[in-house]
Amino acid sequence: MLETDVLIIGAGAAGGVAADALSKAGVDVVCLEQGEWQAPADYPAQRSTYELEARKQWSASPNIRGGQRDYPIDESDSDIAPLMFAGVGGSTIMYAADWPRLLPSDFRVRSLDGCADDWPIRYQDLQPFYERTDRDFGVSGVAGDPAYPDGEDPPLPPLPIGQIGMKMARAHDKLGWHWWPAAQSVSSVAHNGRRACVQWGTCMQGCPEGAKASTDVTHWPAAIARGAKLITGARVSRILMSPAGLATGAEFVSSDGTWDEIRANIVILAANAVGTPRILLNSATSGHEAGLANSSGLVGRRLMVHPFANVLGYFDEDLESWNGHVGAKIACFEFYETDPSRGFVRGAKWSLAPTGGPLAAALPPRAGNDVWGPEHHAQVRKHLGRTISWGIFGEDLPDLDNRVEIDESLTDSDGIPAPKLTYRMSENSRKLLDFNIDKAVESLRAAGAYDIATESLMRYSGWHLLGTARMGDDPADSVVDQYGRAHDVPNLFIIDGSVFVTSGAVNPTSTIAALALRSVEHLIAHRRDQAVPA
Amino acid sequence: MSDPTTAQPIELTTSPAPQVRTWLAAVADVLIPASDDMPSASEVDVQGRQLDIVLGARPDLTAAVVRAHELAGDSTPEAVLDLLAGSDPEALDAVRMVVAGGYYIHPDVRSRLGYTGQEPRQVRVDVVPDYIEDGLLERVMERGPIFRNDEPTS
Repeated sequence: MLETDVLIIGAGAAGGVAADALSKAGVDVVCLEQGEWQAPADYPAQRSTYELEARKQWSASPNIRGGQRDYPIDESDSDIAPLMFAGVGGSTIMYAADWPRLLPSDFRVRSLDGCADDWPIRYQDLQPFYERTDRDFGVSGVAGDPAYPDGEDPPLPPLPIGQIGMKMARAHDKLGWHWWPAAQSVSSVAHNGRRACVQWGTCMQGCPEGAKASTDVTHWPAAIARGAKLITGARVSRILMSPAGLATGAEFVSSDGTWDEIRANIVILAANAVGTPRILLNSATSGHEAGLANSSGLVGRRLMVHPFANVLGYFDEDLESWNGHVGAKIACFEFYETDPSRGFVRGAKWSLAPTGGPLAAALPPRAGNDVWGPEHHAQVRKHLGRTISWGIFGEDLPDLDNRVEIDESLTDSDGIPAPKLTYRMSENSRKLLDFNIDKAVESLRAAGAYDIATESLMRYSGWHLLGTARMGDDPADSVVDQYGRAHDVPNLFIIDGSVFVTSGAVNPTSTIAALALRSVEHLIAHRRDQAVPA
Repeated sequence: MSDPTTAQPIELTTSPAPQVRTWLAAVADVLIPASDDMPSASEVDVQGRQLDIVLGARPDLTAAVVRAHELAGDSTPEAVLDLLAGSDPEALDAVRMVVAGGYYIHPDVRSRLGYTGQEPRQVRVDVVPDYIEDGLLERVMERGPIFRNDEPTS
């Protein structure tokens, strides 16, 4: 039987950060990852069929992809489809690498707006970890953004904002609205063994250049060199428990169908806000009938996903808007904070991203309709290279009824019960998106758009999976403490997006990474006081 | 070792029969007819070599395309699209995908559109961006902080 001091489940953003920190501290660590290593040469960027593959085997939806290492998810009762990737690097393989932080108010929603909850930490508690993970992930950006408190400059110079970014920057200059070159975890120059970005524009189907920060590139090689052991193709079914109420390891099944167990003194879950509650709920046992670490009843509840709208402007000139890094050219935080006069609380972050190649123009994935017959060519020319898209991420307030459960009948290919999502967008989110859509139309019109198309809620936008094992000080209304330690199981930690108390309205990976580093370094510092199984 | 399900396009093992290809050419020209400056779908062989490339990358579409042909019966190309929309939307989506997919990966089509494909372009970090030269960013900073203090106001 395998044995280790610390077991990490999941080799994505949080798992990679944890393995890196633990191996630096000389801790014996093993990670079980359900997926495999990805070879950058296999990414579809350099194939003419790139857009076709992005709609199936390189889709971000595990249900569309249907890969051997994916687990199915019942999303029939969800307004938004969950997106993720199974493999070393996890969803950082397919994320856009947009790298904003939460803002100070995001940690204080109850105090400031009288709804949801405050986090047990504040922005300034996390800021030093944000700055360190910015360096570790190699973030490109521009210092001085007035949307954020002062701090350390981004470690790398900014990526180009392109014609579309300049056009919208000029429009916002005219309107007097905020805009800023978006921070991206993409190397603008060679950095820590990574090559500089060459603007393939295919970030969400894997970076063939290795310029985008994914933890298979940024963290795992060094962690493995220091002795961390990464076992791929290992799908965890449940956490094992001692009679004394401590985690003793995990049961898992390898890709060849062999079942095994691993013993560990400490177990860290980093399997994302769907995968982590799935494992906890599947670990129900005597004394933990409602699932592990679930005395609060909150495991799987409060799922937040950031409702996403897309507003597309059509322009006369060719802007080559298929080109360049995908995360965001520029971002706008003009309407991020609460304004009571708007009739809703909280706000949204806008991201300006490329609008895709000819297949996206013929089969618009976001705003716009496909057109066939004699008008087809005019429709494609209208879209291709001549569109600008504001992607609007709305803050998602926690709701107990939005949740991850175990499906009654659905299983993965190994027979492990699969998750079911229930998610309904709130009235606050609808008002919030509608307001921001109107403002985005105003923005695009100011830039000279002659026509506008809107997708008011994009179904395939569930990139940001958050909140299903929230942190807090009170075990009655939270699953883990501020360092990710489960209130009910003192040697079980959760370090992925599950621990978010509220969602903010920004892409969460930089916060997931910073929280993971903070949690694991606290664990290392208090190692001697840590309860472990006999 | 890469996950084989997310790796290279899978080699095509089942190729649509000639009668399926003939039918597809007619339907494809209804979807994408010729214009003054663009060829029709069949003129760039979406039913032939282009179909082989598309299905090589997307073998999952093969069965639905074959099914669409079977459902079409004697319907005209124009009528079959309406028929599929009502009876088998998945098959209709597959037909549209293989036609558009084959058309827009054809080099002549891309050239006519001025689309150069996903291609590498060196990032120039040594050039001062226009938004700095023109003072745009400076004006954002001059407008001052826009984030909210995390202490409630009394």
